Amino acid sequence: RRSEKPNWDYHAEIQAFSHRLQENFALDLLKTAFVNPCYVESEEARRRQLGLDKDAVALQLQDNTGLAERGLRFARAYLAQCFEGAYPQLPAKGIEALVNFLTSQELVSYVAQNLSIQDLALCRDFPAPPDVLQRTFLAVIGALLESSGPERAGIFVRDFFIPQLIGKDLFEIWEVVNPMGLLLEELTKRNVSAPEPRITRQLGVSTVLPVYFVGLYCDKKILAEGPGETLLAAEEEAARVALRKLYGYTENRRPWDYSKPKQGLAAEKAISSN
Amino acid sequence: RYVRQLQRLQLLFSPTGADARGARQFVEEVAQDFARQHPDVVLYVSPHSGPGPAPVLRAEYLNGTVREELIASKTSEEILQLATKLANQSGLDIIRIRKPFHTDNPSVQGQWHPLTNKPSILTVQGPRLQPQ
Repeated sequence: RRSEKPNWDYHAEIQAFSHRLQENFALDLLKTAFVNPCYVESEEARRRQLGLDKDAVALQLQDNTGLAERGLRFARAYLAQCFEGAYPQLPAKGIEALVNFLTSQELVSYVAQNLSIQDLALCRDFPAPPDVLQRTFLAVIGALLESSGPERAGIFVRDFFIPQLIGKDLFEIWEVVNPMGLLLEELTKRNVSAPEPRITRQLGVSTVLPVYFVGLYCDKKILAEGPGETLLAAEEEAARVALRKLYGYTENRRPWDYSKPKQGLAAEKAISSN
Repeated sequence: RYVRQLQRLQLLFSPTGADARGARQFVEEVAQDFARQHPDVVLYVSPHSGPGPAPVLRAEYLNGTVREELIASKTSEEILQLATKLANQSGLDIIRIRKPFHTDNPSVQGQWHPLTNKPSILTVQGPRLQPQ
């Protein structure tokens, strides 16, 4: 563990951490954010083993579960609001899938590892398991929320979570079992007739690797077309391409807007909707 | 936002060795200014007494790589330059970069495939469109 190797000053490391993220933290809030419940239990067990009195056994440390919960709620609400603003056509299930992906254990622990949280977090096992890292990072967000207010915390969440979506496709994150059914629902909501699939191009029909391009036409106007190995696979792919176009999540959409936000109301709404 | 990839710098030198003269000068004069200008790097100064291993500047990065640079017989300004160079680096391995460009969106209008400019089977041409 890094904290047990020579040359380690916890206070200085925490100060450097807050400067590295360019945020002003209240240092005592940040120190409680790094304390995990498993650490408190292991410390109490060790002190009891060493034979100290009952008073000395109980540690004065608070752990980070409260801060972690607040951080998680704020992050989810803020991210959901961001996506609702950016992709207004995306249904609630899609937004929920995106937010779940961004707050999942693997992603959050990957971000936390690259920000050196695994050195600063106090926990029982080494190396820190991913759920401990996730809890610690969310507690850091909660501490930031308490010390600097919802606006700065919102900018922090936006700067560290949304770049993880670069290069990812919508249907890699959101598992859709029946894209054709979903497409039919979307089109009935917009009062467009049902799509008619037709084969647009085909190559190598009688070989081992045929390629079919199936296009979906509504009222004889093209909606989307997608490739596939068999006719069914091509039709499903065409439905997925049509859904991507409808929700505005294509590869050639405008990149995310990271400029300074001017409205303070958005973050207030995120807090009040918790 | 920009996150500096250097986590901490450890300066290991001996207070009596002749080749650590630059390191001692660095610690006396310049180290405090350096630490003040880079508040997100933790600087540890640890003199180990007596004739020991050569003076070394160890840099630890956020992705875990540890890089050691010898500072024996270097002047204080050279050590300062080295320290700023390490502070501006990232922790990736120093290997030959195969190509100096990389893009996540290799194509804007869609990559070419053998069927892009061929007309689809459904387009009907010729005088058949007119009703008989």
